[in-house]
Amino acid sequence: MPKTIIPRRQFLQGCSAAIAEMVGARLTNLAFAKQDNPYDILVVVFLRGGWDALNVVAPIAGDDRGFYEKARPDIKISDLLPLSDQFGLHPAMRPLYDLYQQGKAGVVHAVGLNVDTRSHFDAQEYIELGTPGSKSVASGWITRHLQKVGISSILPALSTSGQPTSLLNFVPTVSLSTPEEFSLWDNGLRDSHINALKQLYQGDSILHRAGARTLDALSIVSPLSDGGYQPANGAKYNDDEFGRQLKTVAQMIKLEAGLRVATVDFGGWDTHEYQNDGNGGYMADLLNSLASGLANFYLDLDSGYTDRLSLVVVSEFGRRLVQNDSYGTDHGHGNVMFTLGGNVNGGQVFGTWPGLNNDQLYDHADLAVTTDYRQILSELLSKRMGNNDVEAVFPGFSGSYNPLGIFR
Amino acid sequence: MKTKFSRRDFLKLSTAVAAASALAACAPNNENEIGLPFESPENPVINPEAQTPLPPVPLAILALNRLTFGIRPGDVDLFNSLGTNDDERFINFVTQQLNPDSIDDSEFESRYNAAGFETLHKTHEQLYYDHIANNQYDSNNEAYWDWYSKPAYELVDATLLRAVYSKKQIEEILADFWHNHFNVYFWQDDGVPLLVSYNRDVLRKHALGNFRQMLEGVATHPSMLYYLNQNNSNDAGPNENFARELFELHTLGAENYLGVRDPNTIPKDANGISIGYVDNDVYESARAFTGWRVDDDIYEYENEIGKTGNFVYYKPWHDRFNKLVLGKYIPSDQPDMQDGRDVLDLLAYHPGTARHIARKLCKRFISDVPPDSVIQAAANTFIEFRSAPDQLKRVVETILLSAEFKQSWGGKVKRPFEAVVSMMRVLNSESNRIPSGFHWMLSQMGQGLFERRSPDGYPDSREAWANSMSLLYRWNAAVALTENWMDDEQGNIIRTDVYSQTPAEIRTATTLADFWISRILNQSLSETSRNAVIQVMAQEYGWDETLPEDHVQRVLSAMVEVILMSPEFQWK
Repeated sequence: MPKTIIPRRQFLQGCSAAIAEMVGARLTNLAFAKQDNPYDILVVVFLRGGWDALNVVAPIAGDDRGFYEKARPDIKISDLLPLSDQFGLHPAMRPLYDLYQQGKAGVVHAVGLNVDTRSHFDAQEYIELGTPGSKSVASGWITRHLQKVGISSILPALSTSGQPTSLLNFVPTVSLSTPEEFSLWDNGLRDSHINALKQLYQGDSILHRAGARTLDALSIVSPLSDGGYQPANGAKYNDDEFGRQLKTVAQMIKLEAGLRVATVDFGGWDTHEYQNDGNGGYMADLLNSLASGLANFYLDLDSGYTDRLSLVVVSEFGRRLVQNDSYGTDHGHGNVMFTLGGNVNGGQVFGTWPGLNNDQLYDHADLAVTTDYRQILSELLSKRMGNNDVEAVFPGFSGSYNPLGIFR
Repeated sequence: MKTKFSRRDFLKLSTAVAAASALAACAPNNENEIGLPFESPENPVINPEAQTPLPPVPLAILALNRLTFGIRPGDVDLFNSLGTNDDERFINFVTQQLNPDSIDDSEFESRYNAAGFETLHKTHEQLYYDHIANNQYDSNNEAYWDWYSKPAYELVDATLLRAVYSKKQIEEILADFWHNHFNVYFWQDDGVPLLVSYNRDVLRKHALGNFRQMLEGVATHPSMLYYLNQNNSNDAGPNENFARELFELHTLGAENYLGVRDPNTIPKDANGISIGYVDNDVYESARAFTGWRVDDDIYEYENEIGKTGNFVYYKPWHDRFNKLVLGKYIPSDQPDMQDGRDVLDLLAYHPGTARHIARKLCKRFISDVPPDSVIQAAANTFIEFRSAPDQLKRVVETILLSAEFKQSWGGKVKRPFEAVVSMMRVLNSESNRIPSGFHWMLSQMGQGLFERRSPDGYPDSREAWANSMSLLYRWNAAVALTENWMDDEQGNIIRTDVYSQTPAEIRTATTLADFWISRILNQSLSETSRNAVIQVMAQEYGWDETLPEDHVQRVLSAMVEVILMSPEFQWK
């Protein structure tokens, strides 16, 4: 069982008192200038697995409530938190509800891809490449955005979970789990290692460039590696994967190293069975982790950063209206997106609701898509990220661009 | 693929995080100076084609790097003893490896026996009985979860030991390939201990055998039935999870998914079979598999269900009505399991499946984007020998003996698992049981064994692994192994002694560097890179000066680490 990583004995051996003293000194010794970024910092939270949009934001009134309850006798959600006359929010999302009421969080319903796929991997790839229906492009949508606006900072892009497709082939991406874990181990000859690695990793291949970037990232992140981060405003991140990732993003934002984009992955949403089972429900636990993470992240950054924060929550698709007999839901189509930030026109449910009557459903089965997900991202790029070139980021889409007014 | 984080998982993560924080606290003591980034910001986007051209290597080096988990000292000599010319040696090597029963692996077997695994010998039923149905501990107790997860943890350990020490290396590569192809996540609900029988009795059993048989083995193994929720699928509302991934990942592949369309509009081949699949085929197949479940009534509330943990066809849950799959009509009221078997036949014998499997195997053995010629040749073998008991062996053989294979040096970057195992192999590291920190490091690199949560398995392309976190921990693994930092409270340890493996007469920085560059890389380095390695060894001494013994003892490992960290060690 992975209890000990490096035994205490060796920890002590390698950690002289002198080094320990220096750790304390490092935080005050930031050598790089504050990096300018006149635009928002974009945080993209991707919920892997296809979250069940109709149980996240469910109809609360009218015929659609009836269709909903009939289709989901065992898994329908009651006690919803009202978002409008028409919709309510899953009660496990309460931590985010306050931000919705304060106008900091917004909802877009019946949003998604305009192509026919119920495949996780196709749908995720289409969304992240930004080219629905095609996988031939060799860069992600965020890659193209950053290429378009140009990079002037030392830390333009961060991923807290590997290299996401949205940042495909964008070399300056730094991926790391937490700043504490992001350290290079050595036996006392660290400088020597780093000098040699700089020589060894000169080259154009993807591997050479990743190595060079890793060396840069070590320098950038080293001021944070002592693990002494104190979130602002009493924010308390959950000690779960999502909470840790957001905490990392907050730290990197506050590092003022010119972060433009951060991507965060949150898996486990493929709820084919027993989605409401267990103590409060499997999906409720996920939703609570999500909402609590986002609320604490916002609280933490509400210390001078939220005016430049735009966060979106996306997932590859929503799920079937009708539940299956294992108390779960199978792959569907139309979805719901959330936005969060100081310049979100929050407190509203955006989008055109297609209805849940059988002939209003996509393929007579799923919530239809009435808003292309690229509308939201294009509006975000244009209004908050200084990029009006929708076509460069989403080839073929600019003609359909029609902002909903979700960002100021 | 819904998965619950077990308590075990949380414990595992939190201790890992705590330990890592402790470690980080004493790591860097400099690097506050940030100048211009070393990586050029003017050219932020990689050209996927860009590649530093690699000088060609002898066939022995290509073959051993690609068809084993890394070259051990002596491997090249063994390879060269297999014939009088490269082609002969290569064919003999491949033939030997594809007939693993012919290989004397007694050295590994002794090591495996000495490892003292307590659960890996158990049959599927025993695993279920001992670790699930009759776990004697209280489920509120840590001991319950230790006992529950023990077989799967032992499997992780044994898999690493095999990769490092077994001589049956292609068998290991294929076991890894097929576990990723038919991925089951370690922490899937309900059946964690059964990962052992899934890996052994299904994937390894058929890895060089017949695909259709392996497919049925997968479709009827409780690990898969639980993981993709087939276990609860019944006629009242079929669960589509397994059927969806059966088409998309296990057989036809996403390249043959034609989307949400009327199945009658899909073109048919000469036998009337659809050329690709649509959602309706998934729905109909989900119906065909209803009633394929596990005999797992441990709480005794189902009348006709026992608690053996075996596969069971449960007729009351089966949708008895007719179905239409890939254009083939499946009539009502067929004999038990026939509906599902018809679907498996359709999929296993479909030319789209042959190409999908062939492409993935070529991607593993040749390059990230393999030439179409070898894919088609492998697919042809797959189709021609579809009923042969050694179908998959023949497919692999087609790929390995192709002209394309011989020209493929540099086509792959080692994935993290391969990278760290190859470090242990080249350093002659010694271990009978792998310490827990080793597994944690693999997770940090993004490739914890059997820890891919989604059913697609770990990616097999360089883009997925060329990121800072993954590369940094690959470097850290080089340090941890060479410095002998890998041990744990259970007494599991990995020992590496680079000093004693260095001939005493070699004592200048230049000769030490050349010795270890040749030993680790089996090739030479560019002048710049070689100089960088020499400088690490020399430190304040001259490059051709005889180094004091205490300096060698102190610095040698740091130099070896740098060679293991080099890009040249990651290519294959």
